[in-house]
Amino acid sequence: MKRYILLIIGLAMTAIYLFPLYWMYLTALKSSTEIFQYPPTFWPADTQWNFLEVWKSRGMGRYIWNSLLIAVGVTILATTLGTGCAYVLSRVRNVWIEIALFAILMMQVLPSSLMVTPIFVMFNQIGLLASPRIAVILAQTAKVLPLYIVLCRATFVQVPRELEEAALVDGSSRIGAFFHIMLPLARNGILVTSVLIFLQSFGEYVYARSLIAKNELQTATVGLQTFMGPNANDWNGIMTYAAIYVTPILIVFMLLQRRIVSGLTAGALK
Amino acid sequence: MLQIEIDHLNKHYGGFHALKDINISIKQGSFVALVGPSGCGKSTLLRTLAGLEKTSSGDVRIAGQSVIGKPPRERDVAMVFQSYALYPHMDVEHNMNYSMRLRRRPKEEIAERTRTAAETLGLGNLLDRLPKALSGGQRQRVAMGRAIVRNPKVFLFDEPLSNLDAALRVHMRGEIRKLHERLNATSVYVTHDQVEAMTMADHVVVMRAGVVEQQGSPLDLYDRPANRFVAGFIGSPAMNFLPAAAASNGALVLDNDGTQQIGLNRGMTHGRQLWIGMRPEHLSLKPCVNDMAIDATVTGIESTGSMTFVVLEVASQPVVLAHGGRPETRKGDQVRLHISLDDLHLFDRETELAA
Amino acid sequence: MQGIIRTIRDGSGFDILLLGLALLYLIIFSAFPIIYNIIMSLQTVDMFTLTSFNRPFVGLQNYYDIFSQPVAGTIFWNTVKFVVLSIVFQLSIGFGLALFFQQDFPGASYLRGLFLAGWIMPALVVGAIWKWLFAGDFGVINYALTSLGIADDRIFWLSDPNVALYAVIIANIWLGIPFNMILLSVGLASIPRDVYEAAELDGAGVFERFRSITLPLMRAQLGAVISLGVIFTLQQFDLIAALTQGGPADSSNVAQYWSWQFSFQTYEISLGSAVSVLMIIFVIVVAAVYVRSTRHEHSY
Repeated sequence: MKRYILLIIGLAMTAIYLFPLYWMYLTALKSSTEIFQYPPTFWPADTQWNFLEVWKSRGMGRYIWNSLLIAVGVTILATTLGTGCAYVLSRVRNVWIEIALFAILMMQVLPSSLMVTPIFVMFNQIGLLASPRIAVILAQTAKVLPLYIVLCRATFVQVPRELEEAALVDGSSRIGAFFHIMLPLARNGILVTSVLIFLQSFGEYVYARSLIAKNELQTATVGLQTFMGPNANDWNGIMTYAAIYVTPILIVFMLLQRRIVSGLTAGALK
Repeated sequence: MLQIEIDHLNKHYGGFHALKDINISIKQGSFVALVGPSGCGKSTLLRTLAGLEKTSSGDVRIAGQSVIGKPPRERDVAMVFQSYALYPHMDVEHNMNYSMRLRRRPKEEIAERTRTAAETLGLGNLLDRLPKALSGGQRQRVAMGRAIVRNPKVFLFDEPLSNLDAALRVHMRGEIRKLHERLNATSVYVTHDQVEAMTMADHVVVMRAGVVEQQGSPLDLYDRPANRFVAGFIGSPAMNFLPAAAASNGALVLDNDGTQQIGLNRGMTHGRQLWIGMRPEHLSLKPCVNDMAIDATVTGIESTGSMTFVVLEVASQPVVLAHGGRPETRKGDQVRLHISLDDLHLFDRETELAA
Repeated sequence: MQGIIRTIRDGSGFDILLLGLALLYLIIFSAFPIIYNIIMSLQTVDMFTLTSFNRPFVGLQNYYDIFSQPVAGTIFWNTVKFVVLSIVFQLSIGFGLALFFQQDFPGASYLRGLFLAGWIMPALVVGAIWKWLFAGDFGVINYALTSLGIADDRIFWLSDPNVALYAVIIANIWLGIPFNMILLSVGLASIPRDVYEAAELDGAGVFERFRSITLPLMRAQLGAVISLGVIFTLQQFDLIAALTQGGPADSSNVAQYWSWQFSFQTYEISLGSAVSVLMIIFVIVVAAVYVRSTRHEHSY
């Protein structure tokens, strides 16, 4: 009996916590007059399906495409650079490795909003702002790479060292052992971590806002910010935009939830 | 023909001197055990042979060729790990033939040799299983199979039986030894269990703190231990040691009990401090050939059924006596302890070397 | 050449190559910008000198300038309030939820997982949703407060200078709860059950067990979560951009947003750099404390 009371309390707390999400979807489905009713309604009286309209009128296709491009670029760059580094950090132990690891942990915490000033000036001087999406990819990779390395390292630490040694004795080179033994065994961790940094980069705002000048190269976050402008009152349009944008993120997350949580906690607390 | 020569090998880890001037020669086809307490350097030495550890100085030759600086894959050695180190994402067959696939052997040869090895080890019906679906003993066999399919120059074993239960361990000892003879291979076997070393190897190397204390045939080590450490390490139950000093007449006087003497004259200088070493199985409560008796008190009796261990106190020191059969004494008895003088070992108390 | 290929295939050259690539990248795009930032904070950098490599050196003038800005005090206290209040509430609500979901009931871990939805969403989107929730005339929060009798009249959350900062803090607490809860849940799960059973046999009640077992054994975890909370709170930018943009009249402005405004709205880039340098130093100190504490406390 007690367990069911707890379940009901738990459900209630979850519902309260997730209310903002419900409100987003609800507003998206309401008509533009219904959202300004007072007192507000908690179920749409006249359900509107204006997703396609908002998608077209706000040019969401282009924004989402830019966000995807940046997220894919960051993920590829970070996994390429980070996986090997995470592996070495999990295997070799000496003073230099300790220093490198410490430096990486420090770089993990640098806020984008503070790093963007020097990065903007530096990129401007070397002409990188002429291809602003690449500039954002480079900057965002520097932001997520330390996190990727730290989380991936936690995965590699769990692969027993003897497996790699056995491969070496069996006749494999270091490179072969890395690709045939270590990578397949750390595959899950690598995948989950990549998804995590992909989702983070898909929602990136600071660098896109600061480094990209042209609207047609902007990302979905900046598109939403523009939509919200100073005197916005098309709230059901804005919430529709938000719903279109976050629903895929939420789906991916729910599918991988358990793994993301365990990977994240392993990295943060070890 | 010498298969492995280890020549003045040294290994440092930072400030730690892990292997100190190791010299070992191993003949083709012999079975060598490296034995010693944990941390003695035996595993480091084995890993050095495999190429998994770098050396600091000295030379290692396999089949006449120096392997210093060579990566493991150029040494043609196979290794069985303590944890077995089976690749969890490969089935038994692929675990076993990974090395041949790396060497790009012809398909037929790979299939043939995998099959032969699997049959030899009784793994024939498990080839498509993943390691996680195997029992401990089966995993151990796959680890062995992975080594034998390759037909390498040298087999290295790193405590391969320590994760098995006692009965299976004894069985596998025999299996490994038989396999070794059938393949006429050269094997180096690391263990902390001296019984395993004694029963399996032709040549035993006893190590302590990075130093080879003594090497030789098992019975050599048993009969003629070079120092107190080897004497105490080889043999089960362990050798008893009593402190003694040489008297002016050359006889040995037990410490704490000047009245008890052992009339054994080996020409020791007067006053030399010694350890008397006596194996439990060479002590008796009954007279035997060329013996000497001293007073002792029975303080405990442990019987396994087939063997009896009598714990005695001699000159306030505990001494264990082993004899077959059932006990004839009881706790608290005053007895005469008979020592076979031919089997007595003497060690200098300062240098700990055999005297 | 042969030797290089060999060491990369079989030796430590492989390690050095893999490590070197990532570190080189981070040095170019992370470490160097920090140094460049420090240099810029000692120069005059604006629209005219932006692309120049030879800028006038002004010493600590920029630091002097930011501290003599009339809003500097407000922004400093806003930042402190933003960090402290966010963490206090994130931590206590997160800890409470972690304790609650630690209990054995059907669906406990599944429901706990749902909370993470708030954490994975882009902060800008979260800001947009909260902006709508906070809306003065038609916002659902005002409706709830007035109909429950908590507030007499509508609160203009985002346009009233007295409450704008708290509105941002409330949204930030919502964002931070899941992360706190999950990390603390992991800590709670690692406390062995038999410790509680032993305490129960010794006669400790629920409250006494929490005070004498849970809290002391969670100390390392709480320390880690607080440090991470400080770090993440100081990273928060998107939420402010979406909700108030620091306004009205800097009443909800915090240091990291202020730095960005200097650089990208008024183009006083060297002032932006100076604020940024100070904040980066602070974040790194907090992070160093955190890393040290997790290194020392491996287990209990």
